[in-house]
Amino acid sequence: MLASILASGLAAGAIYALVGVTYNTMFSTSRVMSFTAGQLAMLGGVFGSMFTLKMGMPILVGFLLTLLGCAIIGVITEFVAVRPVLKSLDQHLYVLSTLALALMIQQVAAIKWGTEPQPFPRLVGWGSGVFDEKFWLPVVACAITIIGLEYLYRRTLVGRAFMAIAEDNFAARALGLPERDLRVASYALAGVIGGVAGFSGGELLLAFFANGALLNFYGFVPVALGGLGNNRGAIIGGIALGLFQQAANFLVGGIFSSVAVFTLFIVVLLAAPQGLFGAATARRV
Amino acid sequence: MAISRRDVLLGSAGALGAATFSFPKPALAQSEPIKIGCLAAMTGPSSAPTIGFNRGVNFAVDAINAAGGVKGRKIEAIIRDTQGDPTKAVNATQELISQAKVHAIWGPLNSGEALATTPIMARAKIPDIHPCVVESLIDPAKFPNAFRMAPSNSQWDDAVRNYCLNILKVKKVAVIGDTTGYGVTAVGASVTAFKKDGADVVYQANIDSTQPDMTPDMLRAKNAGAEVIVVWSVSTGMEARMFNTRAAMNWDVSFVGHPSMASGELAGLVEKPANWKKVYAIGYKSCSYDAAGKLPAKSQDLVDRLVKANVVLNDTLLWWIAGGIDAIELIAKGVAESGSTDSEGIIKYWNTLSKYPGYFGNYTFTPTQHNGYPTEEIVMSEASTAKNGTFALAPGYT
Repeated sequence: MLASILASGLAAGAIYALVGVTYNTMFSTSRVMSFTAGQLAMLGGVFGSMFTLKMGMPILVGFLLTLLGCAIIGVITEFVAVRPVLKSLDQHLYVLSTLALALMIQQVAAIKWGTEPQPFPRLVGWGSGVFDEKFWLPVVACAITIIGLEYLYRRTLVGRAFMAIAEDNFAARALGLPERDLRVASYALAGVIGGVAGFSGGELLLAFFANGALLNFYGFVPVALGGLGNNRGAIIGGIALGLFQQAANFLVGGIFSSVAVFTLFIVVLLAAPQGLFGAATARRV
Repeated sequence: MAISRRDVLLGSAGALGAATFSFPKPALAQSEPIKIGCLAAMTGPSSAPTIGFNRGVNFAVDAINAAGGVKGRKIEAIIRDTQGDPTKAVNATQELISQAKVHAIWGPLNSGEALATTPIMARAKIPDIHPCVVESLIDPAKFPNAFRMAPSNSQWDDAVRNYCLNILKVKKVAVIGDTTGYGVTAVGASVTAFKKDGADVVYQANIDSTQPDMTPDMLRAKNAGAEVIVVWSVSTGMEARMFNTRAAMNWDVSFVGHPSMASGELAGLVEKPANWKKVYAIGYKSCSYDAAGKLPAKSQDLVDRLVKANVVLNDTLLWWIAGGIDAIELIAKGVAESGSTDSEGIIKYWNTLSKYPGYFGNYTFTPTQHNGYPTEEIVMSEASTAKNGTFALAPGYT
């Protein structure tokens, strides 16, 4: 039982963590919580299945096209749901605009792809039982993504420009950084990360239009737990959420496990409203 | 010739007098087509059954019209795409009744829409025949115009329980459903009925259909000693995960339950074809083939006619097509026997039917019973044996 909890908990947790990082990546350059994050992950599974199984492309080509497709959806999010409401961030109109776009993505996926879960191909073909690739693949994908992001943010000029925008938008613009282009690029990057989450978790979650709403919720929990904009917090929060959820599944059953997850979520937020790893925001006076 | 005032007065009086005589009005009515409104979710999430039903509707309309119609009157199917949306179904119903002025309605084809449209049709007294499973849709006192030609939920439940207790002869049962309204209601009703029949329900659960790993529930069911797992869900993803988990656990328990377990999509979702064995889904005698691969003679005759008419069978279920044909034929027969398209006559005729031989089943209606499908014609099918929309009978049937 413990092996099962660890295997499925780590896998689900890694997917939640990646969705959390998707939220953070979009948030860092725009200060917008875009509720399309879960839909990007859903599209990772749907595009992956479509390119590889329906269209018969090789796995690698399907993977790259999936990332491209998700990146394009990310950019569309910036243009359609984020840019028009940036001037009035304090009114939180982005909640409405990004939720509306998320719903549109979900409906189009349901109509074009179908409302039944579709199979996702085996990607590597290694492992069985609790070591099946459907369990370890999301964990590996999560680890590679984190290493890649750390490299991008700390070792490359573009990454540092992202960090600068995230740190102080106005100062970065004053220094001549192309804030708008960087924001678009960060949404494309978020699309890619969401695509990785969906593609690597495709064998576990299947290619299913309804995964978007589920991942929107469960991907948001690690962001709130770990602190907004804090990727390390999102990773730890995501993995902890996955393990806790699976343990609750085994101990108290499906419906009550969701109750347990959200009870814990509320308790943590009551104790640490800024998230476990987030710093309280200083207010200029 | 000059026309005098007297001529005009005489002529007018004559015309007025003639108008008071009752002219035979049939000239128009007898040649007017019989208009059947079809509330069909042709697109959207729940379109698969409709597409099958619609093939039957078109086949029946073409066949009846080719044979000269009903007493010389052609049948016209007026189809409205409701997209599975109750609001659109309500609008379409009102339009069919008040503008298209249909004589009878077939559908809607899912319960969500039917819950919204049934009272509207009852107010308009439009004869309505549908295949929706929710119990409350049929109530001859409240909805004397509404007739069901497919099994209700409780009939499915009876058939599943009968198979588990009397054919598989198991006593310890696990009942699992999804967390939708349907799943929760169906599990509750099934557990109550099993207990009433003396079975030991050792495990019951409602699982979120998107839960990625089914091991926890399957393990609990196994540890509780379940000899069969009864499934009430329309989620093929959840079902496939349960079948795969059963294989991973090396457990040879049978699954019995909802027809969706025989959905063709499961072929791609199970990890190995063997994982889909020992799965028995609700089916129907008329659409099941025996150990020799033979369908009942009447069904085989229908399949031959459908194939001849180039009706595609391999991506749908035969009972959907047969149900569509039966619905149109029941309406046509109602008009033929009552001698008109008046609602009252059609409803009165349907209320007299006893074992009316349709393709899908033999229907019986009375003024107080509008559930027309006989429970004894519901059987379990081997879920993985689809062939032209038909299935092999599950083990235990002769």
